Amino acid sequence: MATAALARPAFKPSPYLVGAGALFVVAFVYAMYLKLTLGHAGFNTTNYGVFWGLPIVAYDYFLLTSTGLTLLASLPLTLGLRQFDPIAKRCIWLALAALVGGVAILFMELAHPFRALWAAPLNFQTASPLFWKILCVGAYTIVLVLLALTFARGTAPAAVPKPLALLATVLALAITLIAGSVYSMMIFRPFWYGGELPVAFLIESFMGGIVFFVFFTYLIHGFSVDSVPQSTRELLAGSVGTFVAAAIFLHILFAVVRTVAGLWSYGEGLQVWRYTVDQPLYWAALIGGGIVPLVIFALPALRAQPWLQILGAVLVALGLLASRYEFVINGQLLPPFKGSWAPSPLSYEPSQLEWMLLIVGVLLANTVYAALESWSSTKES
Amino acid sequence: MTKWGMVIDLDKCTGCQACTTACAMENSRLPGESWQDVLFYHEGTYPNVKLSWLPRPCMQCENPSCVAVCPTKATWKTEDGVVLVDWDKCIGCKYCMIACPYGVRFYMDEKPVVQPDLREVFPGDGNRIWNPPYKMPDHLEDRKRGIGVQPPGVVSKCTFCYHKISKAPKGVADLDEDNPETREYTPACVRVCPPKARYFGDLDNPDSKVNQLIADKRGVRLKEETGNKPQVYYLSGGGAPVVPGERSQRTS
Amino acid sequence: MEQVTASTSRRRFLQATGAGSALALGGQTLLPGRESDGTARAQPAAATKIVKNICHQCPARCGIDVYVTNGRVHAIYGTPDHPISNGKLCPKGPLGIYVLYDPDRWKGPMKRTNPKKGRNEDPKFVPISWDEALKTVADRLNALREKGESHRFAILYGRGWGASCAGLLGDFGKLYGSPNVPIGHSSMCSDGSIIAKKATDGNGGYNAHDYHHTNYILMFGCGFLDAFRPYNNNMQVWGYIRGEKSPKTRVTAVDVHVNTTLAAADRGLLIKPGTDGALALAIAHVILTEGLWERSFVGDFVDGVNRFKSGQTVDPASFQEKWVKGLVEWWNVELKDRTPAWAAKVTTLRERDILATAREFGSTRPAMAIMERGAHAHSNGIYNAMAIHTLNALVGSLFAEGGMMYQMSPLYGALPAKAEDYMDEWAKNGTWKQYPRIDLKGHPDGYLLANNMMQEVGPNHLAGKPYKLDTILFYQTNPIWTAPNGQVWEQALQDVFVIDTSPFPSETGHFADLILPDHTYLERLQDAPTYPFEGYPLTQIRVPAVKPLYDTKYFGDTLIEIGKRIKGPMGEYYKKLESSENVLRHLAKGFEKNPGDNGVDSFEKWVEKGVWYKKPYLWRQIRGEFFEWDGKGYNKPMTAEEVKAKLLKTPSGKFEIRSGLLEANAEWIAAKTGRDKTKLMFPIWEEPKHPGGGDLYLVTPKQALHAEGRGHNIPMVIAHFQPVVGGRGEAFVEIHPETARQRGIKDRDWVRIRSSVGEIRVRCRLFEGTRPDTIVLPMEWGHWRAGRWSMAVPGGHSGECTVNQSDRITGQCNYYTTKVTVERA
Repeated sequence: MATAALARPAFKPSPYLVGAGALFVVAFVYAMYLKLTLGHAGFNTTNYGVFWGLPIVAYDYFLLTSTGLTLLASLPLTLGLRQFDPIAKRCIWLALAALVGGVAILFMELAHPFRALWAAPLNFQTASPLFWKILCVGAYTIVLVLLALTFARGTAPAAVPKPLALLATVLALAITLIAGSVYSMMIFRPFWYGGELPVAFLIESFMGGIVFFVFFTYLIHGFSVDSVPQSTRELLAGSVGTFVAAAIFLHILFAVVRTVAGLWSYGEGLQVWRYTVDQPLYWAALIGGGIVPLVIFALPALRAQPWLQILGAVLVALGLLASRYEFVINGQLLPPFKGSWAPSPLSYEPSQLEWMLLIVGVLLANTVYAALESWSSTKES
Repeated sequence: MTKWGMVIDLDKCTGCQACTTACAMENSRLPGESWQDVLFYHEGTYPNVKLSWLPRPCMQCENPSCVAVCPTKATWKTEDGVVLVDWDKCIGCKYCMIACPYGVRFYMDEKPVVQPDLREVFPGDGNRIWNPPYKMPDHLEDRKRGIGVQPPGVVSKCTFCYHKISKAPKGVADLDEDNPETREYTPACVRVCPPKARYFGDLDNPDSKVNQLIADKRGVRLKEETGNKPQVYYLSGGGAPVVPGERSQRTS
Repeated sequence: MEQVTASTSRRRFLQATGAGSALALGGQTLLPGRESDGTARAQPAAATKIVKNICHQCPARCGIDVYVTNGRVHAIYGTPDHPISNGKLCPKGPLGIYVLYDPDRWKGPMKRTNPKKGRNEDPKFVPISWDEALKTVADRLNALREKGESHRFAILYGRGWGASCAGLLGDFGKLYGSPNVPIGHSSMCSDGSIIAKKATDGNGGYNAHDYHHTNYILMFGCGFLDAFRPYNNNMQVWGYIRGEKSPKTRVTAVDVHVNTTLAAADRGLLIKPGTDGALALAIAHVILTEGLWERSFVGDFVDGVNRFKSGQTVDPASFQEKWVKGLVEWWNVELKDRTPAWAAKVTTLRERDILATAREFGSTRPAMAIMERGAHAHSNGIYNAMAIHTLNALVGSLFAEGGMMYQMSPLYGALPAKAEDYMDEWAKNGTWKQYPRIDLKGHPDGYLLANNMMQEVGPNHLAGKPYKLDTILFYQTNPIWTAPNGQVWEQALQDVFVIDTSPFPSETGHFADLILPDHTYLERLQDAPTYPFEGYPLTQIRVPAVKPLYDTKYFGDTLIEIGKRIKGPMGEYYKKLESSENVLRHLAKGFEKNPGDNGVDSFEKWVEKGVWYKKPYLWRQIRGEFFEWDGKGYNKPMTAEEVKAKLLKTPSGKFEIRSGLLEANAEWIAAKTGRDKTKLMFPIWEEPKHPGGGDLYLVTPKQALHAEGRGHNIPMVIAHFQPVVGGRGEAFVEIHPETARQRGIKDRDWVRIRSSVGEIRVRCRLFEGTRPDTIVLPMEWGHWRAGRWSMAVPGGHSGECTVNQSDRITGQCNYYTTKVTVERA
């Protein structure tokens, strides 16, 4: 496989890595300082009903972005669609970076994160979606690291071991669907309940993954459009861009259908839909984070413009964060069985520490990705 | 096999919250850590206002959704029907709190409900999140069963006073505070209740008073639609206003 | 296995030696299901002992079992064989442990070093020894006495418990020579009902009740399921009469907002504040016009024909009265026009509800009408209360089964010495005797008929009328906070030497010159004869559960030690008394001749069981005849003279609807209140006077978790305080939604409540269950000098808006009658 063996690249720290790394260290130290002095009292979650706050939203966001990127990378690696080879390495590296950022946020949120590593496998609670999530994420982490190192050694996409790629695809799929089921199996939370939810998660994960690829492609080339290789540019303006449009379309479809059903029904627990559509954030996410980028990526003339691609990607990414936030938080706004002790609906906004966890995750992910990219001597994609 | 259950007579309950405070002292809970809570609701316009209330322990469900979702089996159900938390296995993910329809689980590491923070006035030693002078005796605490003051970062909930009921003589049909033989084994909330609105006994024993009350006074379970099938039944004065869930209906 | 055996044998050993009430619990049992890993229970099983005590958080005096392990108190449950608690407790009871371990307690006696007094002045207390503290007090009192001004020493007490504390105060005053020792708080409590009962049936006290046998309870302004004492026992009774008894007791409850009492009753009536008397009169009217009165007790028309018709007078000669006096005269001058339709307009209740209530109450036997401050803490309180109590006479429930009676006192032994034998010349004949009491109780310029007028002490001292005090000692009372318009007391206490005995920092303590902290109740040896309960004598004892945590001293001993240091025979008297424990031992000697039903016949047994009682109540009215207990039953018929001496202690020996007490003082009453001399001795309707200048009634009820207010520093109390509106951490003022809307106020807004004497800021909750013309703010928070948790609760204190107005006849402080304005803050 003469084409597979390239010269092993050297590790050259880029300004991006140095910058992201420095910011990450500063943010991390500050976040840890807050966490050590305030403990969990630094979080705005309470016992009234909002148990999972911004950190959980952020963790899921990063995790599902990671799986989405892996699914995108599955096109060349697992399904053998060679025209997508140029995107494989970046997708895997971004997937790993996102995973690390997400897991780091989770580890900063959980009280006893390392306990999960032995307590979950040893007790094997098969009924729990979270158990399977831990198992799969554990395996997925190992697989992604192996895949990332494979690329770091300079392996060509076509030469990546098929079993490894297949495992990555399967795990990415499983994690996405299981992550959905964590919420969707809660029968007494009709805002979340439903078999369609894991599918919606899958759509969103794919959509989120792709736009991250789009954005970071330009970022790693210093936002200099001409530095992006031709093959990649064609993919972005072509099939990858189209995938984005399709994914956004399906995402909006799911959102609209769920909203209409939620508003129409008088069922107990669905009144939170009324509250949701009354929030400007909902419309910002739907229109700004959905319809506008849909137009950009659907119309060929617009889709071909790199700066519109970047704008569309950023809009989708932020809109997705907002909708995930609303999904997780609003599903907890009706206090379960608290009577007069809690107002209904509850209110929640992230605390400074919770924002810091998100920022730390973002900076860590960027640092990891920057470090991985520092192994490329030539930006061949 | 014993299946511990509770019956609460809403017609006799006076909404005083003695059950809440007795539990809080017996089990050394923080304010806001309402293992037992009385929930108040009102409806209507002046002068026709309906005020109602509901004492709410852990329902100790037969199909506990909390047990099902716990990734480390930290939440588990004993053979005699009580759902407990193993604090050595809990990772603090709070999925059990998300999954519980009755809101009976607590994570006390967050902001205190009452200021100043009792955890700072009576600080724990790292093994406990606080350590008040009136803490229950050390020898009664049990981390594997979620009894006593919890370590940092775990979820806690009503244990049906497991440290008491587990010492009851085997095969006893009811734990009645008015019976000197069973008084010390009776859960605190049941023991203290002045109108005697709470009863505790074995749902698997045909001679138990709890079974008799459920039958005679048409005891109902709450939130049947979840299918969790609580082991806590409510008497509401004769009527049976709640439609029983098909899946949860007791089989003979 | 080894440890199980060890603890078992330890248990048997303790049982064999009968060591007190030691009960060995715990033990290394292996719980089913999981193996013990051993690390959780590193300590060996310890012996837990149970000590008898009495709860301190309301006047009910529930016996409690205090669980102590390794010298720490960790649980409180009701004493199983105590007739009031029966093993149960209200929500306050279990929380008593917080009181013992409260980190804000005073650690020992202190003196003030900052001479300036004020809300914002730091007293700069420095610790002193008890010797110095007691010497300071004694020197001061001796000097005052030598100057011939002993009347200028006052002791004000709130929740006195029994013979070993408050009970010693009367003798102290007699020996020392001060009319102001003691001044009780009853006028700031519920004298309104006490004097009303004295005026009608001759008994100046709270009723004892036979709830267990009653078939109807009509409640006016007393939170039976919220705070009415004995609260714990009320709830036990409730479970029985509503859940077990055949037939089920029916209940109608009257109040100004929906609370658990009204919600749990069969009928809740939301009445206009201060108009309960109108409702009672209308009910009485219906009872008479519809012939529902109890003829065996009240009497009947000579020919049996009912002549009571609305609006028409009746010839008194046509009616033969049995045990009531003045029924027909009352009908003629007052009651004939008090129809349900009239009452509906006054009370804003529906006429059909008044009628239904009257018919139910009048046709059910036995039935009782009870009331407390909601009905009588108004300017017309005496008449509201008399009207309500008269209902009991009309249905014959006085001293009957299922009715009400009065409390018998415990059969204590004599004190170690008689105070009379130690009175010196000054005590017997000193000039101090010509001075009135500082609060003008019993004085025509003040409140001639009142038992106490504590709310006047501050204002009177400030004005120097009748004179200025020199020294005040406070026991179990905090008047700067509890008196209406307490701001006046902040000024009053500037120039008087203040001694506070509370174990805790308080507003009054902030103005103290000397702090002599008491033990908390779990550290005390103290007696407490029962609050009126079921009539038969009952007295109980607090036994220390732990050694005192700090350098504190039980108030009874503080008083005795001060007494010992007074020069002259008074000092000898207190040396004879020796200590509060000695006093208690002497009191307990009375049990030797009269052993309690539970075998208590000595001090030691009293300590072991915690309570002495002797059933039954000795008298009963059965279908209009009175009987005394003969050892087997109520068989010994009583003569009218005996009934007058022991039960209906009025001038006529009957229930006086035409009150002899009021009639004897008619001149004074008419002169001071302008009332009509031909009517003022009957239960009449009178419009209440509402001071304050506002348009909404400010009502400040007690809540289940707080009652007498001693739990304000308990975090669990703060977290569960107002369950109806969800007060988790602050007290809210309840306001009707429409009333709020008209003032631009939204739910949870901060509002300003203003009256002529002050204004406060409080957060509000909109509640449909509150009358639109009323706001409800429990009097619990707004402490500006207290423990850390109490002071952290946001919101102002209702007392700062409450005008100091009192019923001129009873002296009852009108807490619930001020009218305020409310606006968004």
